[in-house]
Amino acid sequence: MAKILTQLKEVGEKVLEIAKKKGVKEAEAYVVSNRVLTIRLVNNAVFEAKGVHDIGLGVRIINEKGLGFSSTAEFSKRALEKVVDAAIAASNARKLPFKYSFPKPKKIPKVQKVFDKKLAELPPEDGVELAYDMVENALKHNSKIVDTAGVLNLVEYHTVVLNTHGISAPNQGTFFEASLTSTTKQRAKKSEGSASTAGRNLKEFKPEEIGRESAEMAVSGLKAKKLEAGKYTVVLDHEPTLGVIGYIAAFVSPMIAKLYIPLFLDKIGKKVASEKLTVLDDPLMPGGIGSSPVDDEGVPSKKLIIIDKGILKRFVYDSFYGALEKKRTTGSALRAIFAVGISAFPGKNYNQEPIPIPRNITVKPGKWKRGEIIEDTKKGLLVRRFHYTRVTNPTRGDFTSVLRMGLYQIKNGEIQNAVLKSRLIDNILNMMKNIDAISKELVVAGSWGEYAHMPVIRTKAKVTPIT
Amino acid sequence: MKRDETLSEDLALFAIEHASKMGAEYADARLEAHYNELITVANGKIERGIINRKRGIGVRTLVNGAWGFQSTTNLTKRGMKKAVETAFKVAKASSKHVPTPVKLAPTKAYKARYATKVKTDIEDVAFEDKIQHMLTWEKALHTSKRIVRGLIDYTGIKINKIFVNTEGANIKFDNTVVWAELKADAKQRNLIQYYHRTVGHSGGYEIFVKTHMEEVSAEIGEKAEKLLKAKQAKMDKNATVILDPDYVALLVHEIVGHPSEGDRVLGREAAWAGTTWWAGKIGETIGSEYVTVYDDPTVPGTLGFYKFDDEGVKAKRKVLIERGVLKGHMHSRETAAIFGVEPNAGMRAITFEYIPLIRMSNTFFAEGDWRFEELIQETKKGYLISCMRQPSIDDQRFNWTISAQEAYEIKNGEITTHLRDVALTSTAPKFFKSVDAATKKITIVPLPGCGKGDPMQGLYVGNGGPFLRGKATLLGVG
Repeated sequence: MAKILTQLKEVGEKVLEIAKKKGVKEAEAYVVSNRVLTIRLVNNAVFEAKGVHDIGLGVRIINEKGLGFSSTAEFSKRALEKVVDAAIAASNARKLPFKYSFPKPKKIPKVQKVFDKKLAELPPEDGVELAYDMVENALKHNSKIVDTAGVLNLVEYHTVVLNTHGISAPNQGTFFEASLTSTTKQRAKKSEGSASTAGRNLKEFKPEEIGRESAEMAVSGLKAKKLEAGKYTVVLDHEPTLGVIGYIAAFVSPMIAKLYIPLFLDKIGKKVASEKLTVLDDPLMPGGIGSSPVDDEGVPSKKLIIIDKGILKRFVYDSFYGALEKKRTTGSALRAIFAVGISAFPGKNYNQEPIPIPRNITVKPGKWKRGEIIEDTKKGLLVRRFHYTRVTNPTRGDFTSVLRMGLYQIKNGEIQNAVLKSRLIDNILNMMKNIDAISKELVVAGSWGEYAHMPVIRTKAKVTPIT
Repeated sequence: MKRDETLSEDLALFAIEHASKMGAEYADARLEAHYNELITVANGKIERGIINRKRGIGVRTLVNGAWGFQSTTNLTKRGMKKAVETAFKVAKASSKHVPTPVKLAPTKAYKARYATKVKTDIEDVAFEDKIQHMLTWEKALHTSKRIVRGLIDYTGIKINKIFVNTEGANIKFDNTVVWAELKADAKQRNLIQYYHRTVGHSGGYEIFVKTHMEEVSAEIGEKAEKLLKAKQAKMDKNATVILDPDYVALLVHEIVGHPSEGDRVLGREAAWAGTTWWAGKIGETIGSEYVTVYDDPTVPGTLGFYKFDDEGVKAKRKVLIERGVLKGHMHSRETAAIFGVEPNAGMRAITFEYIPLIRMSNTFFAEGDWRFEELIQETKKGYLISCMRQPSIDDQRFNWTISAQEAYEIKNGEITTHLRDVALTSTAPKFFKSVDAATKKITIVPLPGCGKGDPMQGLYVGNGGPFLRGKATLLGVG
């Protein structure tokens, strides 16, 4: 085991010991070390390079009265005593009206290709050069590019979960996410293009592709025409597909469904999407962007079918919501501040209690190639990017996104002219029901900390020009 | 408010001295102790009860005109050295790709110590008692069987902060902010309607006593129920609309606050957040004489309250728009130098782990000279739009659509039919030019969920204004 994991484990063991001495019924320690290096690019230059090294500890306690949680970023004996005391105080206040116990140990599977030594050991100054490569490639690719802005995040995390039932589950990984927005101008006309990527291994980072894709999209937008408002057949590229499918992760979390977005409550066994759509949570996927051998309670990961041919099969559970609803945990505990989507920085949120949510949501590949979906579309729109995406009415599913760039008309199976900025407004449930084609290829796509392996899909949506 | 006395100012000074010794032309450090508590209660059950503590430092260095930053929770001299050295190293590496070295607009090196006014320290109210309060408030949301879901989300945050820089600034700030978000979902057959409100301030737990939370809860429950009987709104192009301060809060946040961030104006947020339609338009008339907007961190009791920002710049009221003329933006010392203006204390970070960004504090429309009753009486045909719901804004903050929790038709100077599922849409300049009245009194409401940056920093701010009358297209969003 890596030295850092051994150190984290020792801290966790001390916490359990302190808790036992204080007479608690059960205790759990989630101990992390997490490094993030962020290089922000603006106006064709490096704007800032910033690093965060978090170490931290989240403690949960079960005693006769209830469940409590507390966290600290200090590992001194005094701090460990204090954090256990705070968790006990919280447990005295939070009574549970049902029987609850932390998970028991089980055999932990192996997940391949989630830790890249090269990324973990990359000198920060080399990270700066890698980020700047994206800018250079965009400017080199097309001389019409006048401005670029973007980011490269490099993440290394180590976590250990321990509990008084004997769970002692180490987990480590690396991760990068990068994006670049390029801008071009021609007289009064301005056009933007963007590209983004994420992965677990540094060799997956291709700054030349990011630079080229964002530059090409920007330049193509110079000839953009205004769209007529209407209901369109829309081909959603990988990133906007996540804008729709990513919400399913939130919809099948019993916590989020109960508190915030109840769209899938009472829908198990019912049709919630097109029969073409099968949605999975696959945290065992080798190199998967959200893959890990265990969840954030130390429960072994397993593949789950969420939607099978359009039928909602299940909600996902951590141990707490499992106990609450008399179900078993599905190994879906995640410590995340933001309740929607995939947490980009595993281990960062040690100061949060786990919530149940799919950890590596993905879609069963379809039969089509991306190009075939476009060729098969007589009249429609190719949507390559979403911006400012929201479910604006959580009880009904009103959905909106600004199509800021990368929007094209499709006529007789061919991509035509780019289209000026527009807004997509529809109902997310209807959009899922209207899916009639899914691509074979899955690509890691997303933005702003939320990434997943997504296909290209075709559906229908109302689109109106933004004046 | 109780202070974490274990924070050693000497460590922060050691960090910036070490940066200077290494050759940084400027360095600052924020040494912070954080305490926060989160409680969520839904339908009579405690969904979340969390107590968090952390301490750490964030060090910013300027080397050869480029920024570097590193945070650490290792509060030892060794930890400081390591953090400073990394911040120095990445700044130096970045400087190769910074064609125009960063310059900082000058500011006085202030030495100050101040604190938010707190009557009841959040740590002095037993966690168990707070949970009992939330359970009571949540229960009060259920005004009838039609309320199918009730939700209380409570957050309390205490921060002790020491800011020092190599220019000699030394500022200590003890801040407490608390807020509770209350929401009720009402259902009748297939129709679901919800109503929500946030109660909060910079200060202690006393606000929840002063506010009579059970009454607030009951009002929210009743509002949600009443929406079940309201009429579905229908599209009305270029309608006269009177916006209440709660709706104005989200509007001003989205179409004045964000586009006034100096970094955004310079295209530095183009990657994800977007740019600003009014870049380069300072001095131009963009709205009517009733459009005056300030950003003011000095308003005591608001979520955006502070006296010095995270660069040690003394806070003051910033005039963003004055009588329809675009006057200025929010600045860091760096963007102030680029614009050739005085820095105006716009920089904040949510914790020591993050580098400061230009953020709103309390952004609000200024008062006018109307009374609310006059405003209604003198509106022949229009709508009273009440309480924010969800925004959808384009990347230049030009075209906006914002939904409201409820609305009323106004006919011949009287408030009449109650409407649900309503949104307004317009463009920023079109709306600004249409504003023809504002009431005398302004209200600043808490807005705890403002997002910016990569990695994202979620910050609490204040927003608001008076009742405003203008024109926009009314949409039925059912």
